[in-house]
Amino acid sequence: MSSLSSEASAAASHLGLPGRTAVEPAKTLVLGLGSPLRADDGVGVVLIEALREGGGFGEEVELVDGGSAGLEIVLLLEGRSRVVVVDAADMGLEPGAWRRFTPDEIAPADGAALGGTLHDAGLLEALALAEALGVLPAELVIFGVQPRSLGWEQGLTPPVRQALPALCEAVRRELGGGWRSGLAG
Amino acid sequence: MTMQKLKVDVHHVTRVEGHGNIVVDVENGELKQCELQIVETPRFFEAMLRGRHYMDSSHITSRICGICAVGHATTSLRATEKALGVTPSEQTVLLRKLNFHGEILDSHILHVYMLVAPDFLGVGSVIPLAQSAPDVVLRALRMKKLSGDICATLSGRHTHPIAMTVGGFTHYPTNDQLYQLRERLDAVRADVEATVALIQTLRVPDFERDTEYIALHKEDEYCFIDGEIASTDGGTWPVERYREVTNETMVPHSSAKHTANQRQSYMVGALARFNVNHDKLHPKAQAAATALGLKAKCTNSYMNSVAQVVEIAHCIEESIEILDTLLERGVEPEEPAPATRLSGEGVGSCEVPRGILFHNYVIEEGVVVGANCVIPTGQNLANIEADMRSLVPSILDQPQEDITKALEMLVRAYDPCISCSAHMLDVEFV
Repeated sequence: MSSLSSEASAAASHLGLPGRTAVEPAKTLVLGLGSPLRADDGVGVVLIEALREGGGFGEEVELVDGGSAGLEIVLLLEGRSRVVVVDAADMGLEPGAWRRFTPDEIAPADGAALGGTLHDAGLLEALALAEALGVLPAELVIFGVQPRSLGWEQGLTPPVRQALPALCEAVRRELGGGWRSGLAG
Repeated sequence: MTMQKLKVDVHHVTRVEGHGNIVVDVENGELKQCELQIVETPRFFEAMLRGRHYMDSSHITSRICGICAVGHATTSLRATEKALGVTPSEQTVLLRKLNFHGEILDSHILHVYMLVAPDFLGVGSVIPLAQSAPDVVLRALRMKKLSGDICATLSGRHTHPIAMTVGGFTHYPTNDQLYQLRERLDAVRADVEATVALIQTLRVPDFERDTEYIALHKEDEYCFIDGEIASTDGGTWPVERYREVTNETMVPHSSAKHTANQRQSYMVGALARFNVNHDKLHPKAQAAATALGLKAKCTNSYMNSVAQVVEIAHCIEESIEILDTLLERGVEPEEPAPATRLSGEGVGSCEVPRGILFHNYVIEEGVVVGANCVIPTGQNLANIEADMRSLVPSILDQPQEDITKALEMLVRAYDPCISCSAHMLDVEFV
């Protein structure tokens, strides 16, 4: 079952409140996903903490620990024009390697994904649903990080931990590029 | 605590279900064999509780389920509290009720919109519905989120209610948080009406099979927590005598036990609750039932999902009333009510989304020495099978895919914890 972190909950808490407007589209959402109790699955969440600690982001960037959010991811994406997602992804690469891609570069998660179990619903299922709902942000970029282990342990494995600084840099460049130059990405 | 290294297959972790196999054997047009084979990995929760401190039980058993975590925790706490002579305060009872209603809403909304509606619309998943009616699906997601937020506010976090403990709570919501929830619930009333309107357009399959329906009952409310066991065949039992009702037996083709009371099987869940307690529903829920053609005593298992919609309407209204009461009283942090003894036996029982749940603990000197948990889905298995045996002969002339679909929909109507694996139902035509 999905488990929205309290932070992600707050990020979407405006929904359903009468008279409240939606999120400010100008803000870029950086969403780190994963469970810190499952070794490298927590890389997205660890990355958000690292970015926070490094600081240097203005009001225009919102860093959110999305935890093990499932279909609620759809609500986090809704109303945003620009989103960067960081998550562990099995891409058949060396542990710690990462790739930057957009949703259309992912092998299609069609209806079959949501025709099966919903209790494992994660990013792919949320993207499929968001697309069907027409709420996919205009710009959505995903950083997939190859895990070595998704076992029952806290903490990242060495190769993934060692990849963090460079990954942080890559995400910062991703955020900095479009924003600083003022270009609509 | 030392943790040994474990290799766990992640797909079996959070759910009770394993694989559901249906074996159908027809010879010369005669149904010889029709079984629902459950190959369930034993969960060992009852064994896990042995030797643990009584304060740990609710936290361990809430892990039985991700969506019924509050249900298991509440039932667990009631078992411990009865064993150790703990009397929760009025405020605790109210807070627990609100939390419980939030979870019923969360579970039912997911089931109705994401799992059942696609069936009724003849589509494979919620995706086509999202494409043709995005407002409907977004509405469902927002309602579900609100339900989850109710639980998160009261439980201290989103899943596995850490703030609930023996005798009360370790963390309290602020009055402002409760006020915000009330505002959001008020806004969602329109969404409930829209949900009823949507379900009205769906054609529920015709099916009738009279059976026994079992649910908790109280004189003064449509109860989810505590009460006595009641049956549509007549009779009431204090929850302490649950074994006289469940009568669990082993069956050769299933690793999960079957239950039976006054007939070969009985049904639990929303439809059972409706059949037993319909007159206790909030007027708006009763109106929804009328609008949806749900009348007691309903013996069409497919209508279980409709009963869930009626409960959605009920729980929204009840939650608002409970919040009004809490806001009027003002929530005051208080110490949990203490145990008056450290040894005893207790049975806790609650109506979780899928039906009546029992937790039975024996505690000695503050340590759990024995536990028995009877889960609603397990109690429905014999009835699901009886329904299938009744349904199959009537649809044998249809193409195999249609028979498979009808059987899957039947299983899904029960909203069992195996509904997720219902898509892995292997229908073997022998």
